[in-house]
Amino acid sequence: MTDNNHLVKRAKEIRNLVLDMIFGAKSSHLGCALSIVDILTGLYFGDILNVDPKNPDWENRDRFILSKGHACVALYATLALRGYFPVEKLTEYGTDGTLIGDHNTRGALPGIETTNGSLGHGLPLGIGMALAAKKTRRSSRVFVLVGDGELQEGSNWEALMFAGFHKLDNLVLIIDNNNLETLGPTNQILSLSTLHKKLESFGWDAENISGHIFADIIGQLNISHEKPFALNCHTTKGKGVPFMHNDHIWHGKCPTQEEYKRAKMELNGEAQ
Amino acid sequence: MRFEVIKTIYKAALADPKVVFLTGDLGHAHLDDFRKNLPDQYYNVGIAEQNMIGIAAGLALSGHRVFAYSIAPFVTLRCLEQIKVDVCYQNVGVVIIGVAAGYAYSTCGCTHHAIEDIAAMKALPNMKVYSPANSLEARLITEYLIRAPHPAYLRIGKGGEPKAEKEYSLEIGKGLVVKPGKDIVIFATGTIVNEAVVASSILEQHGVSAEVINIHTIKPLDKELIEDRARTKDAVFVLEEHNILGGLGESMARIICESDGSKKPIFRCLGVPDEYNHRAGSHQYMLGCYGLNGESVARQILELYQKT
Repeated sequence: MTDNNHLVKRAKEIRNLVLDMIFGAKSSHLGCALSIVDILTGLYFGDILNVDPKNPDWENRDRFILSKGHACVALYATLALRGYFPVEKLTEYGTDGTLIGDHNTRGALPGIETTNGSLGHGLPLGIGMALAAKKTRRSSRVFVLVGDGELQEGSNWEALMFAGFHKLDNLVLIIDNNNLETLGPTNQILSLSTLHKKLESFGWDAENISGHIFADIIGQLNISHEKPFALNCHTTKGKGVPFMHNDHIWHGKCPTQEEYKRAKMELNGEAQ
Repeated sequence: MRFEVIKTIYKAALADPKVVFLTGDLGHAHLDDFRKNLPDQYYNVGIAEQNMIGIAAGLALSGHRVFAYSIAPFVTLRCLEQIKVDVCYQNVGVVIIGVAAGYAYSTCGCTHHAIEDIAAMKALPNMKVYSPANSLEARLITEYLIRAPHPAYLRIGKGGEPKAEKEYSLEIGKGLVVKPGKDIVIFATGTIVNEAVVASSILEQHGVSAEVINIHTIKPLDKELIEDRARTKDAVFVLEEHNILGGLGESMARIICESDGSKKPIFRCLGVPDEYNHRAGSHQYMLGCYGLNGESVARQILELYQKT
């Protein structure tokens, strides 16, 4: 893991920004955002996404779609640190009139490819982009990040069927599988059950990994496939702040001043 | 009408690889040329409208001009949120083609009737709504949509509608006078314009001169023309194959109510009442259930107009 020290450091920077932004704006979805930070770090700082922050509309870029738009604060922080725009821009979050809201909106910031919020939209959009890349003989790949609860939306299964049938080998679905949705554990509300088998039976390659181990995230995303590829990342909601781990209350709750201070200390490894 | 639309898009697609046609497993033999000759620009996405609209938006975000085709209620209401978020909110060039407006699938039951689609589509910011009266207008509007991609709903019949008697042009966003008349005016949209013309001819025999105006662009609406006729005619009637709630008539009523000037004409919407029709029959039968065929329209107008 020592080789990944720079990624560990980046992920911690992103988590600090996420915590500061959500606390500062008295916003929510903290647990959801912390859950995906290591995946985003792997994508943007682990040489997975072929992008150019100085030329965000470069035609041959890889596309990243954050379908679970409620975790967008993690994407905002990641894009800022990746150099798409100054980190200071993030202070607009939570202010009146800002374009940087609680769900990612296309055009609000450089690097945001799509508008999301309502769940189950990202994968069909990603298929359109993957088809477009193939039609124009571009080598770019399309990555779509969804939540596990989001997979309860039927539109995903229409899309999974289509992508598998058409063998869209330039499409990657990343599942932030923290087994928690708004009101509790996914496997107790509407279980995805044998997700791996479902994905394979829909014509996808699928792998299960921890969504917090950079070597696995990057290793898997570097493998090319002849089918669309689903990377089922088992994650911890609230990752990085132990007292928030795996507690669905942090889907919608904003930390109090005390909780914020404690979270900062836990995140940065300081003794209480 | 649908054949004309598909043929027009196919011709454009032959010349421009960025034109893409998606279908939700409908279109039958009309799509043979696309399927055979342009397989990279044609996808039958299956019976999955939500996915179809998302794919359409993803392609459009990548620079393609996309047409998404299915039966009107399926391609508007089944995937309404995808149209809102993926197409309209992101403001991308996707044309939603809804076949069989109103009661065109008259024997198929309420699942296949489209009497709520205009209301749903016109309420979406960035969306424009087109409702041609015949194949010629369908072609002209489609040609425009190919030239000027934007979120659009093209509401068409299912085929077999009366053809235009001669070639003419139209201006997008402007109403078209189909038949002149000095006393009253009937605004109509879509294939039911033909019934308005029939009504006007009957009215003429009763000494009422009724102008017929075809509103092929429901959004944006021709405010100037509507205000002018509200000022200059004794009565304004709106004929549409749609729920009277949320249709063309309501949009026109707002324009007239908000317009300057003290004179307000008699104003009536002749459309589908706010209910589902559980009966099946011919298209004409279905129109007749709600007094929307030419003869019934003329009778209702005479009753209302002569009362005043």
